[in-house]
Amino acid sequence: MLLQKFFGRAFHTTRLVYAAGAGLEKSALSALRKKTGYTFANCKKALELHNNDISQAEKWLHQQAQSMGWSKATKVADRVTTQGLVGVLINGNRGAMVELNCETDFVARNDTFKRFVDHVSRIVLHYTDRTEFDGDIWKLGFDAEALKNLETPQGGSLADHLALLIGAIGENASIRRALCFKVNNDLMLTGYAHPAPTNITTTQNVTQVGKYGAIVAFRASDFDDLEVQKGICQQIVGMKPVKIGEYGKDTPAENKDDETCLIYQEYLLDADKTVGEVLKERGVDIIDYHRFECGEPTKRDLKELLQAQQLNNN
Amino acid sequence: MSQAFAAAVCRNGLALRCSRRTLSAAARLQRNMSCSTRLAASAALTKNWQRFSCLPAATGNMQQYVRSYANEKKVFERTKPHCNVGTIGHVDHGKTTLTAAITKVLADKKLAESKKYNEIDNAPEEKARGITINVAHVEYQTETRHYGHTDCPGHADYIKNMITGTAQMDGAILVVAATDGAMPQTREHMLLAKQIGIDHIVVFINKVDAADQEMVDLVEMEIRELLTEMGYDGDKIPVVKGSALCALEDKNPEIGSEAILKLLNEVDTFIPTPVRELDKPFLLPVENVYSIPGRGTVVTGRLERGVVKKGMECEFVGYNKVLKSTVTGVEMFHQILEEAQAGDQLGALVRGVKRDDIKRGMVMCKPGSVKALDQLEAQVYILSKEEGGRTKPFMSFIQLQMFSRTWDCAVQVQIPDKEMVMPGEDTKLILRLIRPMVLEQGQRFTLRDGNLTLGTGVVTKIMTGLTETQRSELTEGKKAREKKEAAKK
Repeated sequence: MLLQKFFGRAFHTTRLVYAAGAGLEKSALSALRKKTGYTFANCKKALELHNNDISQAEKWLHQQAQSMGWSKATKVADRVTTQGLVGVLINGNRGAMVELNCETDFVARNDTFKRFVDHVSRIVLHYTDRTEFDGDIWKLGFDAEALKNLETPQGGSLADHLALLIGAIGENASIRRALCFKVNNDLMLTGYAHPAPTNITTTQNVTQVGKYGAIVAFRASDFDDLEVQKGICQQIVGMKPVKIGEYGKDTPAENKDDETCLIYQEYLLDADKTVGEVLKERGVDIIDYHRFECGEPTKRDLKELLQAQQLNNN
Repeated sequence: MSQAFAAAVCRNGLALRCSRRTLSAAARLQRNMSCSTRLAASAALTKNWQRFSCLPAATGNMQQYVRSYANEKKVFERTKPHCNVGTIGHVDHGKTTLTAAITKVLADKKLAESKKYNEIDNAPEEKARGITINVAHVEYQTETRHYGHTDCPGHADYIKNMITGTAQMDGAILVVAATDGAMPQTREHMLLAKQIGIDHIVVFINKVDAADQEMVDLVEMEIRELLTEMGYDGDKIPVVKGSALCALEDKNPEIGSEAILKLLNEVDTFIPTPVRELDKPFLLPVENVYSIPGRGTVVTGRLERGVVKKGMECEFVGYNKVLKSTVTGVEMFHQILEEAQAGDQLGALVRGVKRDDIKRGMVMCKPGSVKALDQLEAQVYILSKEEGGRTKPFMSFIQLQMFSRTWDCAVQVQIPDKEMVMPGEDTKLILRLIRPMVLEQGQRFTLRDGNLTLGTGVVTKIMTGLTETQRSELTEGKKAREKKEAAKK
């Protein structure tokens, strides 16, 4: 045992000495890789082109990253992306929800990917700032094509940023759809993504990520009643209602497990009540909601769906 | 005269059986030998009925021995210990190519059936116990061991594979391309290995034909560093460098087929052979209890692991009880067994316990080898609606019925790291049993709610028992819980 430990250590140090003593070239490559995180093959190429000058090689790598990302992106473009994440970002009266896809759920769990979801959510949210409107509620859906051409405050289109991500993770990825909400007057927005960590304190200006997401626009007597807001969002994520429903107009389904009207559904947190009863009790009025499920098939183009709903509202 | 013959055959049979077992467990041989000769001697001295029924049992063993001797070679191949391994790594780093290369190299030595790349990659969806898992299974063997090789595309598939237990992985091969080095998600691959309980990883640095020595060395250093950071012993983990593609195309044998053989050698030596069920302390989940006039109490069930012999001490555990006893006889199909082995459906005659003391759901085991517990952590897969599960998500405090081995028990569920669980998800759960039951790490169970199977899981961690107050809280309703919460605030 002791002998083993000794040898283990001996090997370890010799390797370190070897690595450090093998000359400039070796440490340059490892330093560049550590610093930039680009693949070994690319770091090596950069150093060869710039006579082992780390700073120049690094500059070159950053310049090349965009085109390398694009070449990788085109190479993997036909691979299917079924995994991914939904990001929900709420900031005051504005909200955004995006869905990003990738090939494996390993990537979806990775921090680099989560940061990118946050990045995209913020760009979509930023888009709402440029819009002026007078009504109570305004929403806009984006499809994959529209999102690709979206200009970013940092420069370049969103597709360029996506190519960078693909270059880094080496997997195909896509931004599938996005939705932004803006409300005025006495309306409020709240959002939820599942699975959510249990210890979050605020949902304001924090991108929540998960496999499912929901944004709800509502009117309430008590805006700080966060518990019921979250409960409603969980209800929408979990029970997948098709519409809010109106008393008098819609009738409850015979089998309560098949209920698709939000107000008639059993409240998840308290099975003795329906959602409608809880809303009445707490003085909350749901105006609109949207639910994203990662990888779910969209029957219609999201825009068409929104237009149809707007027509209904008018 | 006939009595003497019976005893002789009996002794002979036991001796032969011992020599057959040398193939598999040499270490236990000597102990068995002395023990069994003693048993044989004592058998000759006991009552008549026992001696006569001893005869068919002994000759049965003889036949078995003769049969296995006739086709010795086949039996020898089967005694190769089995081990399950899997590949993990980035999609483009050549996991499937490596698997194909392994089968090809071994097929050249007539130890496997060569599989082409697309045969592995297009493995059909497998439905195991109603759960859809995307998994490819390949089998091959080396000189020393037989392998089942698993490859899944995603994290969730590996978790489901672990939960259903179709092929529990004993070790993993992490594949990294020398051209790329570790990817951002390599960290997630290692986390997965930790999560599904893989303690032994062998690293294969692939595509060295497309990289130079310096890059390969740096990739090795980087991987070792990352492994250490993730809680593995990065300095001791074997790293093999090669090119799966070269092996597949019969080029550069020093980085092709030779590297593959070196990798397999490391897998053979570094990943330990799992302990066989037969070598573990015995355990029999009780299925039925009978009282036989003039004989005593008999328990029946399928021996899950280990070996049971007449005269062994045993213990009954479950339903808040621990009863000590001795096995005074073992029978299978109304015939007396000298020794029952794991997998046998048997009846055991036990001394000094009444029929009403033992209940279905208890286990009979080697004294002290298992404990009953009432709180545990588990990894559970919740069936989706399509798989026959429920439609609604559930939250903490839900009451379910837990089924495992031959028992079932009401449990309360706590969800530790999220707020609700959707159908089709895998999740960590803390389960609190209403009364202590025999549970061990790695034990599988099913959760049901009314007439619906909700999910299936595996025990990942044993937790400290419930306190009295916690136990009383299990039965109290939602209103009482809310009242307490309110009082706290």
